[in-house]
Amino acid sequence: MLLYTLLAGLLFGLYFSLIGLGLNLVFGVMRIVNLAHGDFLMLGAFLAFWLFTLFAVNPISAIPIVFALFAVVGLPLYYLLVPRLLKARDPEMLSFILFFGLSQVIEAITTIAFGTSERSIPGVQLGIVIATVKGLFVGHKVDNGPIEIFGQTFPAAWVASGVVSGLAVLFVYLYLYRTRLGYLTRAVMVNREEAIATGINVHRVSAFAFGIGLGLAAVAGVFAPFMLGSITPAMGVEVTVTSFTVIVIGSLGNPLGTVLGGLVYGISYMFMQSYYSSWANLLPYLLLIAILLVRPSGLLGRQVRRA
Amino acid sequence: MQPDGYSKTLLQVTGLTAGYGRIQVLWGVDLCVHEHESIVLLGANGAGKTTLLKAIMGLIEAWGGQVDFGGVNITRLRTDHRVRRGIVYMSEASGFVGLTVEENILIGAQFLPRSQIRGRADELYAVFPALAERRRALVSSLSGGQRKMVGIAKALAGNPRLIVMDEPSAGLSPLFVKEVVRVLTQFRAKDLALLIAEQNVKFLELADRVYTLDNGRIGFFGTVSEIHKNDALRRAYFGLK
Repeated sequence: MLLYTLLAGLLFGLYFSLIGLGLNLVFGVMRIVNLAHGDFLMLGAFLAFWLFTLFAVNPISAIPIVFALFAVVGLPLYYLLVPRLLKARDPEMLSFILFFGLSQVIEAITTIAFGTSERSIPGVQLGIVIATVKGLFVGHKVDNGPIEIFGQTFPAAWVASGVVSGLAVLFVYLYLYRTRLGYLTRAVMVNREEAIATGINVHRVSAFAFGIGLGLAAVAGVFAPFMLGSITPAMGVEVTVTSFTVIVIGSLGNPLGTVLGGLVYGISYMFMQSYYSSWANLLPYLLLIAILLVRPSGLLGRQVRRA
Repeated sequence: MQPDGYSKTLLQVTGLTAGYGRIQVLWGVDLCVHEHESIVLLGANGAGKTTLLKAIMGLIEAWGGQVDFGGVNITRLRTDHRVRRGIVYMSEASGFVGLTVEENILIGAQFLPRSQIRGRADELYAVFPALAERRRALVSSLSGGQRKMVGIAKALAGNPRLIVMDEPSAGLSPLFVKEVVRVLTQFRAKDLALLIAEQNVKFLELADRVYTLDNGRIGFFGTVSEIHKNDALRRAYFGLK
């Protein structure tokens, strides 16, 4: 039971890292809080749902489509909203209000368009992909049932979500630390004014980060039906709270700190589900309060947080 | 106005006014820097030196007046476009602390053709051997003096025509101030113009001409020997009676 809980916590932790990653990237680069983050995740989930329902696109195949679409939408959305916001005297506080408003608008429009009923994608769809990939390695057909790790059995959808989330973290690491755009982005994160003075086009760099942040949220949305139960237009607010908890635990403004936050959150969540399930929904709030009281700069510390 | 030996005006600031919110800091500042010339801008804390440099770089908006660089009006140009034209700003921050030495230099060289970037970085490592040894180290792990060198290397990386420097001696021991002056002297000989806002008179060693800024207005401009002949300035900036 203990090993199962721990491993399940790691899989969920990776997924929660993916949920928080985009939010923390946007905060790190722009010092604004995107309270509509959960709603972009919800939109990504709906896009994956409709791609599957209408065109039988497997969720794994939907990932590049969903990511590219949201990343591209993020660019004009950045130029529409953020530069004006950053000119304000207190952009952080204004960002709360602006993106809360955007969150409400997205939720209302999605509710009008799709109604309030819960939707899901059969978990077997991810199992098929895992079985196919596994079959390629072992050289014969493999059943698409649950997956065994260290003697413990997990739904294939959890494993697929964990693996894709890990790859997304790797993608963000490579983008930030192995590309020219990445070190320009980190320069903006370290000192925005110095970045402008050095001649970095901070709006272009920030727009890319915003697009990638939205893309990552949407990719997390693809796995929402398997990891969060089902999708509804109202799920955004709860997801935003979870994302916020994850990044506060790790470290606000440090995208890779999100991984630590996600793992701590995921493992705590699974232990709560296993041993005190009726308290599990309180977890985000309890962790948020605890970390703010004990270590307000997050587990990874001071140098990355300026909020 | 144009001293002997300097062919062209590189930077011309005319009647510049600027400030923050409703507070006006600069009051019609006139200043020029010729090609290959080294200017030291002296002024006490709060005199408006940083504001002037920021207005020249477009980091704050000019309320009035004009800034020309290389004969082109750049008053309304974005900062990154000014940097592309060859005017670079070195703030007191001296580089990005969360990045490595190498990354800082690459950022400084961002507008060079890709084929020249590696060569330029190696040239700079030859000038700053201490940085070459620690090229993969985070700037946050370096000493104050080494960080300043990173800031200078970053500013030099793009092969600029003019470096605008804000208090390069800030936070440095006299030994490092001497080292900064030595490095800048070396680069001055290579077609580089400097505009240095300073309180430390050690930098007068570099100066072809000196401006003083008092309460957002140019008080004096002339050569270093002229400033030494002026009793009031000697008292104000050298503490001599």
